[in-house]
Amino acid sequence: MAIVARIFQAAAGFLSFPGANAIPFWGFTEALADKPQYPGPLIEATAGDQILIWLMRNYLEPIVEPISITFPGQENVLVRKIPWGPFIYEPVKPQYAAGKMISLTNYLDENRDILVEYSFIASRPGIYLYESGTNPEKQVQMGLYGIIVVRPVGYNIPGHPNYKTAYGADTNSGYDVEKVLVLGEIDTVMHNNVVPNVYYDMLDFKPDFWVVNGRSFPDTINEEQISSQPYDAAINCRVGQRVLLRIVNAGFQNHTFYLGDLVGRIVAEDGMPLKTQSLDATYEKTGTTLGSGQRIDIILTPATPGEYYLYDREYQHLVNNDQFPGGMMTKINVR
Amino acid sequence: MPEINLWAKDGYLSTPDGNSIYFWGFAKSAAGPAQLPGPNIIARQGETITVNLHNMLAEPVSIAFPGQQVTVEGQPVQPQYKNNRLLSFVNYAEPGGTVAYTFTPSHPGTYLYESGTNPYQQVPMGLYGGMVVRPADYNPDVPEYKTAYGAGTDTGFDREYLLITGEIDPDLHQAVENGKPYRVSKYVPRYWTLNGRCAPDTMLMDHVDYLPHQPYGAMIMGLPGEKILLRYIGAGIDNHPLHPHGAHTRVVAVDGRLLRNGNADLSYKRFTVLVGVGQTYDQIYQWDGLGYTPGNPIPTVLPNLRNMGVGDAGWTMWSGSPYLGVKGDIPVGVVSYNEMGEYYFMLHSHEELQITNWGEFPGGMMTMVAIYPSLAPDIGVIG
Repeated sequence: MAIVARIFQAAAGFLSFPGANAIPFWGFTEALADKPQYPGPLIEATAGDQILIWLMRNYLEPIVEPISITFPGQENVLVRKIPWGPFIYEPVKPQYAAGKMISLTNYLDENRDILVEYSFIASRPGIYLYESGTNPEKQVQMGLYGIIVVRPVGYNIPGHPNYKTAYGADTNSGYDVEKVLVLGEIDTVMHNNVVPNVYYDMLDFKPDFWVVNGRSFPDTINEEQISSQPYDAAINCRVGQRVLLRIVNAGFQNHTFYLGDLVGRIVAEDGMPLKTQSLDATYEKTGTTLGSGQRIDIILTPATPGEYYLYDREYQHLVNNDQFPGGMMTKINVR
Repeated sequence: MPEINLWAKDGYLSTPDGNSIYFWGFAKSAAGPAQLPGPNIIARQGETITVNLHNMLAEPVSIAFPGQQVTVEGQPVQPQYKNNRLLSFVNYAEPGGTVAYTFTPSHPGTYLYESGTNPYQQVPMGLYGGMVVRPADYNPDVPEYKTAYGAGTDTGFDREYLLITGEIDPDLHQAVENGKPYRVSKYVPRYWTLNGRCAPDTMLMDHVDYLPHQPYGAMIMGLPGEKILLRYIGAGIDNHPLHPHGAHTRVVAVDGRLLRNGNADLSYKRFTVLVGVGQTYDQIYQWDGLGYTPGNPIPTVLPNLRNMGVGDAGWTMWSGSPYLGVKGDIPVGVVSYNEMGEYYFMLHSHEELQITNWGEFPGGMMTMVAIYPSLAPDIGVIG
């Protein structure tokens, strides 16, 4: 089994939304890369791999508060820290100061620490979030989150029973086209307050932009580019291909992701395949509601060429600055 | 080939607190009233159906049929653009124009139909309705074939009801009526509807003449032991947790798809079903009672009538007796709406704010399930 090692920093940057000024945000970046990302860098691994994430101090533009990463759905996450220790791995645990919990997991104090290392075995195939565990009500919304895709052994070996499957052979998860879609939302008032370190009461949280892969429509269907919003959300496939949509709700609101006129088969929820050896519990849907932090894997097989929009069925989220069309919407082109 | 004509029109909704709200809805005829929800569409699996939309509103209107492969003039429906800007998810009718949607439902079940044009506004304004697709072998006269999903799918029913959830933000409706701009971010519902009505209007019969724009009631009626098919549709833009008091439902299908893979039955029981927006839930509700008859007395002592708070508001649905089919005494001054000793169980949204009409309880997204000692066979038929 391989080791997947990544070196991350947290940094401040700017986001672009249709019809809005540049909006400050915090994002993870590969160390020494110049721009933080929203969502953070995609981590890909194969089941059984060891994932090592070094979260490094950002000397140039620290975000001036403790930062950390939690890995929901991963078991036995270990941590060590330089230079103040622990020096040998120990399990992550919540952190307290003066009797008050200040972080869900071990964090990087940019005044003291140089790096904190998280390590775990990605034992199960699936799609997972990683996100800040420190002041998460603020830091996650500010953009400190990303996606881990864990693929089954043999997913890339033609002829292997797990070839091009999300969860291995006999899990109804074979696919031809894979697309990760991360849902979220932005409250620009909050972002504009947090970066100059003005207190923002999260009870006032009221998003005004809704995003797929960090972008609002129509930016969602623009190509991938080098910016702080590198991931596009457009999907291209041919008639009859099996399209695996890996949808993750990284936002604070629930979102009902709607497949337009298409019908998809839900093959996994929260990284757990619904088909086992004894029971096929996969089921078809035209749209599905994802609570905060939930993930779902859907396979759809378009039968007719054309365009279809995929969107949040909560129609008030399909706007930019109150103007339709916009927001949490993307498109699948079927040739 | 069945053909259905729908006219997109405007009209005024009535709420129990006396409000009259401008809305857009589908009508059954050019002269008929716009209605909320739109006319129920009853189709049959495998039978091609055409829906002609006649647009009598001043802006483009369309109908999207989630889960169906729809064609217009022989071509699959496609998103429509104007000046390079997305205008509609599907082909639309211009003001005064008509568009014909053709599709062949491949699966039985419960579906939503709704506008696909400016949906952030047109759907909350009322341009939505419910569609029931009967299985190919459906035959209401033969119990074995009176099913939601076909013989042998364990979805047989005795009576069925459609319950379509929605919300109304009066500010949106007023802005549209007056041609004023409306900021979507200001969306705040003040009324919550089942089949376009707020409680207690939900409990009135279908087609009462004083609610010309809201023809569908939401009262659930059945006999003990009967299989009552409840078809929920989330037509608004908020989720609603619905439950009938005192009983579970068995969810047999979602979004028009039977919860079954081969021989594996994936149906499940729920006390509360979170009705997601744009989604549908087919459930079977069965109230078997607890064997309470006058010959089988309840092993508890009811409080003295004088100590019971019967009908604080001056009226009650209670019969005055704990026994089905028996009417007893109720306190002087309290009016009982109980007809023949039937039982009432509330069915409502568990976001309790939503069982108000603009903050005043009782109201909103609430109705009753009534278990009768006897009931005419034509009750609980979707038409």
